[in-house]
Amino acid sequence: MNTDATVFIVDDDQAMRTSLQWLIEATGLAVQTYESADAFLASYYPGRAGCLLLDVRMPGMSGLELQSHLKRQGYRLPVILITGHGDVAMAVKAMKAGALDFIEKPFHDEDLLRSIHYALAFDQKHRAHDLARTEIAGRIADLTPREHEVMALVTEGQSNKEIAATLGVSAKTVEAHRARVMEKMRAESLAELVRMALLVASETALS
Amino acid sequence: MEAAMLNRISIKPLLFGLLRRLPMPWIAILVGLIAGLAIWSVLDQIQSRQVDKIFGQELRVQLDLRAHESLMRFERQLADYAAMTRLLASHRRLSEYLEPLSWLEKDRFIPLVYKGFRPDWLPDIFDQNELSPPRLILLTDAWGQVREMFQSGEEPAPLATRVDTHLLERRGLRSLIEHIGERLYLLSSHPIEDANGYPMGHLVVLVAIDHAFLAASLHGLDLERAAVAIVDSDHQRIVASVNANALMPGTQLSDWEDTYEMTLQPLPDYEGAASSPLFATFVPHAAVERMSRHVRIFERRQRFIAATVFVMVFTGVIYLVSVRLNKVLKRMTRFSQRALGIADPGFHRGGNQLLLLEDWIKHFTQLVLMAREEMNRKHQAAMRESEALKVAMMEASLDALVTLDHAGQVIEFNPAAERRFGLERQAAIGTSFAAQFLPRDTRPAFRRLLDRSRHLRRAPQGRIELLALQTDGTEFPVEISIALIELEDERFYTLYIHDITSRKQAEQEIKSLARFASESPNPILRVSADGLIVYANTASRPLLLAWQADPGMRLPEAWGDDVALALGTGQPLEREFDIRGQIYSLLFAPIRDLGYVNIYARDITAVRHAEQESRQHQAELVHVCRLSTMGEMATGMAHELNQPLAAIVNYANGCSRRLQGGAGETEALIGAMTQITAQAKRASEIIRRLRALVGKQPPIRAQMDLNHLVREVRSFLEFETSRLGLQINLELDATTIPVQVDLVQIEQVLMNLIGNAFDALEDCPEAQRHLCIRTGTRDGDAWVVVEDNGPGIAPEHLGSLFDPFVTTKEGGMGMGLAISQTIVDNHEGRIWAESEPGHGASFHMTLPLAQTPGQPASNPENHWKPK
Repeated sequence: MNTDATVFIVDDDQAMRTSLQWLIEATGLAVQTYESADAFLASYYPGRAGCLLLDVRMPGMSGLELQSHLKRQGYRLPVILITGHGDVAMAVKAMKAGALDFIEKPFHDEDLLRSIHYALAFDQKHRAHDLARTEIAGRIADLTPREHEVMALVTEGQSNKEIAATLGVSAKTVEAHRARVMEKMRAESLAELVRMALLVASETALS
Repeated sequence: MEAAMLNRISIKPLLFGLLRRLPMPWIAILVGLIAGLAIWSVLDQIQSRQVDKIFGQELRVQLDLRAHESLMRFERQLADYAAMTRLLASHRRLSEYLEPLSWLEKDRFIPLVYKGFRPDWLPDIFDQNELSPPRLILLTDAWGQVREMFQSGEEPAPLATRVDTHLLERRGLRSLIEHIGERLYLLSSHPIEDANGYPMGHLVVLVAIDHAFLAASLHGLDLERAAVAIVDSDHQRIVASVNANALMPGTQLSDWEDTYEMTLQPLPDYEGAASSPLFATFVPHAAVERMSRHVRIFERRQRFIAATVFVMVFTGVIYLVSVRLNKVLKRMTRFSQRALGIADPGFHRGGNQLLLLEDWIKHFTQLVLMAREEMNRKHQAAMRESEALKVAMMEASLDALVTLDHAGQVIEFNPAAERRFGLERQAAIGTSFAAQFLPRDTRPAFRRLLDRSRHLRRAPQGRIELLALQTDGTEFPVEISIALIELEDERFYTLYIHDITSRKQAEQEIKSLARFASESPNPILRVSADGLIVYANTASRPLLLAWQADPGMRLPEAWGDDVALALGTGQPLEREFDIRGQIYSLLFAPIRDLGYVNIYARDITAVRHAEQESRQHQAELVHVCRLSTMGEMATGMAHELNQPLAAIVNYANGCSRRLQGGAGETEALIGAMTQITAQAKRASEIIRRLRALVGKQPPIRAQMDLNHLVREVRSFLEFETSRLGLQINLELDATTIPVQVDLVQIEQVLMNLIGNAFDALEDCPEAQRHLCIRTGTRDGDAWVVVEDNGPGIAPEHLGSLFDPFVTTKEGGMGMGLAISQTIVDNHEGRIWAESEPGHGASFHMTLPLAQTPGQPASNPENHWKPK
């Protein structure tokens, strides 16, 4: 588990905020509290590990609004919503919008803590995945345009001869390009190269 | 004659027009110039003639003087030569020369001629005497024969041998002017003697009188301006002249008359036998003319200067006069404009001030005449008007007007009188008023009235109420007042006869009306200003018993004050009076002009009971309504309660985890515990408020701050506001607003209004929801406005908004605003709504300000008013 992970709490009720901090800090996690969505946005920067504990009802920007705002910005911070009595409809809405979990007040401390731990683990996993994807993207960026073309055609499953015909060069040249691509991409086999290409392609499709 | 008239008529206005247009200074200059010219021309004529005359005389004198002077010089020259002759004749050298000589008559001899040199007997004296040497000096013997001769020139001697003895004077000197030959000579002779005194003969000096001689005689005189000549008187011919070129010798005198002015003087001492010479002085006409012209020009210049000075002085004087006139005119114009309101008479165009002044005076006189005429007309109009007015008054008067003469006969009878008495004016005039129009028994009273009016003169008019008689014999009551008109020789009475039939009837009516009060089943009383009971009807017995008073006695002091108050303000006053369970409502109606207060009482015990019951019902209704509001708010309250409870759970769990893990620091744990306590208190506060809201309390009024009330209500609704994501903005009056209210009821009203606003805002986007509560005071009232920017209220709903069971909400009972209105009405306040559809709605509530701060709530019953 990443020790840098922080639990961000956004709640307009001061008592609720500090009591949650008191509870979560008892498990050894780092906690930061904010009284409004704006205050949180002012201090948060992307890439910070952790999870977000959000009160649904708040003056100003509400919990749901903050959640959708973060999603629009492309932040992958996992969100746990705290709802009051009878706010179930709203909680469903939040889950549909991509919240990781919701907890109804008054809640059991075990439930809350379990949810937090799950969220932090989720966050870490995603973060590692992202890291790998970024690296592969970097390697692809190092390729020359011709190598790029060759790699695209190779991963589509074309043979060297087919590639030579498409690009209008000799098969020998394609062979040389292919060897360079494998080397630059640090791919041991064709299968690995294809996986790398897929990973980057899914990223592109997502964003 | 006619033509002359026409001429005058046509010229005169033209002249006047011209005069009118010319300003005075111009006229002054013109007149001055003309006068100067006239004076100058007349003077010139007269004076020139006079000057000429004087000049002629003067010239004559001058010429004479000059002629005399010339003559004197000439004669002196002659005398000089004579003197020289005497000197030569008596000189010693001559006598010594003659000593040895003796001349006899018979002697034959040739005269001794000295030519070119001087003989011994001739001393050299000519050079010394400045006399030119004579032509010839002769020595003759006693018979006139020339013995010796001295000739100075080369010319042949005119006298060679002999000198006529008649030319010589034996005894002494003789000078003559003689023609010898063609020429004229001065012949001067003196007897000579030898040394022994023997007469020897004569010394003769012959001097030619020619131009040189004349010139020498005139030495020092201006020959240009005058010439002299010797004239032969017999032939009137010039013999010798000083200027032979100009006046040739031998010419006739008459030839020169045109050219010269001549003065002829005889020379009697030198007349010879043959000749009688005249001494002529010539002055050229041209010179005389020149001189005369100079004088005349000089004179004319003098006259011209004199005339100019005259014109200038004259013009100056008239100019000054015109300037003065101008000032006067301006002043008069200004005066007329200011004082008389006459418009500018039109002098601005300028012109002759005298004529303008005349015009102005004419204008002014005309205006004064017009004003007088106008006044006259006005006066006459006023007279006619007053006459017409008098007639109209007579005609239009509703009262009968009858004028009587001193005997009581009718002399004037107006239309109202005709109608009232049923008699034509023509028939009435001349009759005796008393006999015709009064029944027999009232006539003495009328007569007394007439007498009295005469004695009382003008001041209090005689006035009497009588029965009068119509012509058909019916009697009717009248009020007669008499005005006496006393003229110098006559006395009239004017009777104003007022028909009082209707008044009498009204009096009867009033008398019968007065019985109403006594018959009324409700107590009616009349009290004077000082609290004295003037009248009380029979129904007011219970009141009188309670007051322990009877008519004629005073009211108790507290009630007397109310009487005074009602009279003071002039407004009716309502009071209640509880007499052992019987409640009376007393209305104090002031009659200020009479100084009375009428008290109308009414037993309202039954009404009061009914009201009490209705109020209880209402209170219950209010409570029910509150409960329903509470039901609507229950969810919100539950959530609000959740907050502190959740916080407490969190703190407690946090504590136990720390304690289990052994990581709990005591101070942090104590802090958490303190937080738990605080949150528990918060929860209990919420519960208390809930109870206050739900609990049924008797209506109690207390003085409190309206601002505080608003803040309290806002705190009740905090959950709702956060649910809606809005803030209630408070714009409260800076100072406290004291109101005497039932706290719970007014809070209920406010909650109701705010709740409505919440409902209205629910459909708005969250960021645009605004709710504002404002308070303030105005004109003795406190006011609260709850304002939202929701969809507003449709105009058709505004009117029925406060009616019960009217609702626009799905789950509403339609009681909220109706209950609110009841509550506000009970507090003597007002509640209303204003809305601009699409821009929100505002609900206004006013409550009377508490008058004296700190006064305890009085019996609420007193403030209750039936609706």
